Amino acid sequence: MIQLIGGEMTVWSDLDGTHGPAPAGDPTLRPLLAGATGRVLVAGPHAPELLDAIPSDQVTLLVRGIPDAEALASRPGVTVCCGSLEKLTGLPAYDTVIALDGLDRLRSAEADDASWDETLTQLLALLSPQGRLLLRLENLFGLDRLVALPPAPADTEWVTPDDETRPTGPDAMRARLAAAGVPVVRDYAAYPGALLGGAVLADPALRGFLEATLVAAAEPAHLITGALRHNLADDLAPAWIFLAGPGATGPEALIAAGEVRRDAGGRWVRGDDRPVPLGRTLEGLLLAACGRRAQPELRELLTAWQRSPAAGVPAAQVLVDADGRFHPLAPAGAAVEALRRLAATMVDGGYAYLWPSPADEASLTALLAGMTGRELDPRDVPTVSRSGRETVRELTIARDRLAGELAEARAQHEFYERQIASRDHELKRVRQLNAVLSATAPGKAAHTLVRGVRAVVRRTRG
Amino acid sequence: MHHANHYYGHSHVLARYCGLDDTDPPRLHGYLQHGWNIGDGLAPDHEYTPGVPSFLWSERTRRRAWSLGRRQGYVVGAPFAYLLAMDPLSDSDQREGTIWYPFHGWEGQHVVGDHDALMAEIRRTEDGPVTVCLYWQEYRSAKLVRQYESAGFRVICHGYRGGWWKDLDPGFLYRQLAELRKHKRVASNRLCSAIFYGALAGCEPAVYGDPMHLENEKAAFGGHPRILREWASLHGPHPDPVAAARAAVDELGADRLLPPAELRRLLGWPMPSSVPDAELTGVLTR
Repeated sequence: MIQLIGGEMTVWSDLDGTHGPAPAGDPTLRPLLAGATGRVLVAGPHAPELLDAIPSDQVTLLVRGIPDAEALASRPGVTVCCGSLEKLTGLPAYDTVIALDGLDRLRSAEADDASWDETLTQLLALLSPQGRLLLRLENLFGLDRLVALPPAPADTEWVTPDDETRPTGPDAMRARLAAAGVPVVRDYAAYPGALLGGAVLADPALRGFLEATLVAAAEPAHLITGALRHNLADDLAPAWIFLAGPGATGPEALIAAGEVRRDAGGRWVRGDDRPVPLGRTLEGLLLAACGRRAQPELRELLTAWQRSPAAGVPAAQVLVDADGRFHPLAPAGAAVEALRRLAATMVDGGYAYLWPSPADEASLTALLAGMTGRELDPRDVPTVSRSGRETVRELTIARDRLAGELAEARAQHEFYERQIASRDHELKRVRQLNAVLSATAPGKAAHTLVRGVRAVVRRTRG
Repeated sequence: MHHANHYYGHSHVLARYCGLDDTDPPRLHGYLQHGWNIGDGLAPDHEYTPGVPSFLWSERTRRRAWSLGRRQGYVVGAPFAYLLAMDPLSDSDQREGTIWYPFHGWEGQHVVGDHDALMAEIRRTEDGPVTVCLYWQEYRSAKLVRQYESAGFRVICHGYRGGWWKDLDPGFLYRQLAELRKHKRVASNRLCSAIFYGALAGCEPAVYGDPMHLENEKAAFGGHPRILREWASLHGPHPDPVAAARAAVDELGADRLLPPAELRRLLGWPMPSSVPDAELTGVLTR
């Protein structure tokens, strides 16, 4: 059933992702929605697969575009309200309000401007006094934005969704919601593929595991590892998610493999009760060894990795525990591809200068293989698709490296030219000497002797 | 790439280690350090071509070279250490006496000093038989050889260093290692490659006697006085052999040797026709 509440947009879809970012749809959010109870309002664009996780049969969906409303209307037990948030008033309050797309796509192009805070006030007005709120807040200073070029404005940005009333971090958000009588019971640093609570982020033993988990889906990797190391992973998260209002406090963390929690013994375990491996990532250890120029350690680590069952797992997805055991966190592919990925990380990370040039990906892959004692020709190194976006940083590194290699190649070209000239000179001198010697009596005798020997050899072969 | 790469049969030893024909080593794509030194690893008059790497013996040398603006250094260890890795020491080595390397000049250089006084000091210090190893220039001087022999020393020469691709002597290091393994002690009047080689080859090292000097000797990178200051513990007739062996491992990069596959790749050398480990990896189809 579709209710046109006013302000609806006739030719518009937030669900198809063509007018702005894709709707909230990260599968790691599903367990949060599974806790929704009573009358549920889902405000803003949410992927249909996420909606499937809501157990309640009293669900109201608020969308702006008519095509989205029509697409969702066929869902059983669902009421679709199509229009702008401020028109959704006068209804009995909801027990659960879900706004995991944030507040920026709740008002339509037909609506008057409203500040972030006014929009929140309107949303909170729909929540019952003992109700539950699931809210996302985009971090406008998130690490994904730090190195990105200014994006071209999307269709949905008829005004830029930013104003002074928008909380700039979890503290401000907690204060705002507490003041509204909806205290936050849990908040997460929201990365693609991972929601990380404070306890998980505060435990240094989990750093390697979190690095591996985050860089598998998010980027830029060097900022993620840096933020984790410097205890800034919450402050610089791409977004935050808040669970507010009475009720269960929610899991400590959610990742693609499920929940991360402490077991009765205080150990961190994954959803299936397997303990979380503790240690550093192999890639982190390798890069640290590069920095210290600890070549023997580098060879030892590379060799141990390439001789282990984790040989085909990218180094960023292998944890090395205190006993030096490898714990792969991703399925294994071809070993040479894992080496090439490492080479790419080293080139992009500006470590290529550690090896004689040309230190392009294929050459470096072959050299890394050599460090493990394995013979590999750069021409046999398969190309692998680049896992990350190429930012200006990577392009600048590549340009500088290539410019350096070109200058070196030119200098070497000149050197070889000089070498050839001197060898030519030497050759000419030797030939002249040869001609002079051949004209002498001993020279002629030697010539005759050589001819005779050749003739004998020819006859013998024949 | 540079004629000095073939000094003392260094490239020949590396070719053998890499499984290649060591009678005619391929061109080596870089500059190979050919002697222990306190500068950037290469000769003071070495001309660098940008982008051509220097293959250095030790991490300490690489750091020093880096500080001097030589960024293209890569530590591979000394060829002598590779030779020793291929022919390891054994308990059955019969060792006796001292092998003594008087400080020498290189082609075109002349040492100024009193050989008689030096011989007297060697006699006073060493209680076993002494073999004196002369550089080929000095060895050609029948007078000097006689002088040492008449003092009761055995006189030998390891061979030519070679240069400009002529007079190459692939057997140089082999002869040196064979001699070192026959002696209990290695000594010289200056700390030099031979002392580190000896220490690595199981000899007790010693550095004593008039250090002599070269005609017009230039004190590059602090010269002899700096060697005395920085490596003071290796000087004297009886330095601590354990510390000296450790210093030899560091200075010759003996704990940083490369696997053949890595070395071949760095030096720009081809793969040997049969490489068992290549077949094992399954990376190569040929």
